Amino acid sequence: MHPSLINPAVVGYICAMGLALAYLVQRHELVHRLSVLATLAGWAAHTVALIVRAVELGAPPLASLTDAISVGVWVIVLVELLVEQRSGVRVLRAFVLPVVVVLALKLTAAGRPASLAPVLAGAWIWIHIALAMVGFAAFVFNFAGAIMYLLQERQLKSKRPGAFWYRLPPLETLDRLTFRTLALGFPFLTVGLLLGAIWARTAWGSALTFDPLAFLSLVAWLIYAGTLAGRAAAGWHGRRAAYFAIVGFVALVLTLGAGLFLPGRHGS
Amino acid sequence: MGLFVAGLSHKNAPVALREQIAVEEDKLRELLRDLQGDAVLPEVVVLSTCNRVEVYGVADAPGEARTAAFRQLCRHRGLDLAAVEPLLYTHLDGDAVRHAFRVAASLDSMMIGEPQILGQVKDAFALAQACETVGPQLHTLFSQAFSVAKRVRSETEIARHAVSVSFAAVEMAKKIFAGLAGRAVLLVGAGKMSELAAKHLVEHGAFPIYVTNRTWARAQDLARALSGTAVPWDELPTALASVDIVITSTGASQPVVTCAGVARAMHGRRGRPLFFIDIAVPRDVEPGVDGLDGVYRYDIDDLKQVVEANLRERAREAQRAETLVEREVAKYLARQTDVEIIPTIVSLRARLEEIRRGEVQRALARLPDATPETRAAIDALSTAMINKILHAPVTKLRESSRAGASRSWLELVHELFGLGRRS
Repeated sequence: MHPSLINPAVVGYICAMGLALAYLVQRHELVHRLSVLATLAGWAAHTVALIVRAVELGAPPLASLTDAISVGVWVIVLVELLVEQRSGVRVLRAFVLPVVVVLALKLTAAGRPASLAPVLAGAWIWIHIALAMVGFAAFVFNFAGAIMYLLQERQLKSKRPGAFWYRLPPLETLDRLTFRTLALGFPFLTVGLLLGAIWARTAWGSALTFDPLAFLSLVAWLIYAGTLAGRAAAGWHGRRAAYFAIVGFVALVLTLGAGLFLPGRHGS
Repeated sequence: MGLFVAGLSHKNAPVALREQIAVEEDKLRELLRDLQGDAVLPEVVVLSTCNRVEVYGVADAPGEARTAAFRQLCRHRGLDLAAVEPLLYTHLDGDAVRHAFRVAASLDSMMIGEPQILGQVKDAFALAQACETVGPQLHTLFSQAFSVAKRVRSETEIARHAVSVSFAAVEMAKKIFAGLAGRAVLLVGAGKMSELAAKHLVEHGAFPIYVTNRTWARAQDLARALSGTAVPWDELPTALASVDIVITSTGASQPVVTCAGVARAMHGRRGRPLFFIDIAVPRDVEPGVDGLDGVYRYDIDDLKQVVEANLRERAREAQRAETLVEREVAKYLARQTDVEIIPTIVSLRARLEEIRRGEVQRALARLPDATPETRAAIDALSTAMINKILHAPVTKLRESSRAGASRSWLELVHELFGLGRRS
């Protein structure tokens, strides 16, 4: 990723996050508007950075993990803006943007990736990564919804309304958000993983050789599959579903971390 | 002509006095006409509620007008003006504007943010309009006050959170369920407060309503009153499994809803939350149900705690509202300032321009050979001169007007430049 181009985007996201958190405490119209503005500015800069990167590579910027995360962040921010506009749940940004910032900071820290092995080029790989990233974006919202649910649930149980109580949407809305994002993200993650396995078989001859990222993503997939099954079969709701969403997301983050820091086939 | 407001309110006058001086509508019409007829008060609006009696007016001598107004108000109730006068507050000009805005926005109310006051101010204004005692100044003031009140209501949360126990129950329900439309409510036992809470829930779309009571006849009565369905007492456990909100207010000495019962009911609900509003003392729902996932139980003390938190939230929002009002007052005064001094500035400029034109014409008549350049130079020179001359008096007028002391300066300018009498 071109640092001079990604940096303004990251600065925009950091400002947006700070303002979003401030809005949570001190409800001020101007703070919210500035936060939206900073998000839009960051996203615009990010778009330019991605286009430049694509031109540079002569291909979609999906071939390395750093590039893929960049696209993932770009999707998350876009979806956040759309969801917020449609649902009017303004506090959502305060829970999504911190994740965005953590991921985006990783982008600035990463050097320019070496050119990829020829084995990692081609449409299959792009689709594999694109699907996995859309799934990841959905799970970021799943995670944000779960955190908001648990905060709101605690406030309701404690019977002492605090600052969050006034800002967060009703429990049922949050539960629905975690369910829908799970139902949306899961198929993407599943197909993304399957494509990866198929690719590995064609490229390396075996779908099951050990790779830290592949292993951890399978763990995350199992957690999400379990949650979905629990929801569908046993009517899991609320707190339990929220805990699983958080555990699943931790597994996903570890997956990305493994890809970025451990040697393996996904290494950047 | 100065704007003023004088009166007494819950802040400084005891209810015993407020109830005596409050005026009913018929009497108010008479009073407004009398006040205007005296010629002391060319513009007047009287606001009379159980928490305040205030006279908003425009007068040459506000002090005199105030006394005249309250003498009338006291006379019709046989009160001694001397007893009332020490309790009166008076705000002039900018302070009067601020007071009007704060009252309309419910920032001066006993219960900050209560919605009735705006309607009362509107009624008072409409009545004065009907009696033709509203002139341009009060008209601007009140229309602006209404728009400020509207902004405060929509841009702050001053009136958003419940400050009564029964509304707090509705608010809690709205934090659990995404909308109350189609949520089933079960009333266990009867009582004023539980009935009220049920009515609020119905107003927000809750439906259907079930009522159960140890006495079947009472269950039926209440069901009829709330357009609900009566449920036999021993079907309570089954009902718990299907409804969303339960309001309990029986006189039972032991809890009628037990942990075990609720745990059983939750099995069949597939995670759908269940909300207990327990208004009974002693409580009807075992507090232990709090430990069950998806069960929310608020007793009367919990609801009171919510109300207190809401009051604190209102106070915080009121701070924001005050800032908003302050900005609006400044804007209003700036506009007023312009309205006040612009006619004078316009006539002053016109007067100088008239002199300049005449002199330039005379000079040019004596210079028949003047080139177009010379003519233009003379024109520019004279224009520059009058602009320079105007600069100081105009600045002074602006300053004095902003400081609220423009009247004497305006008179002076009119005198000095022979602009004729001010209207």
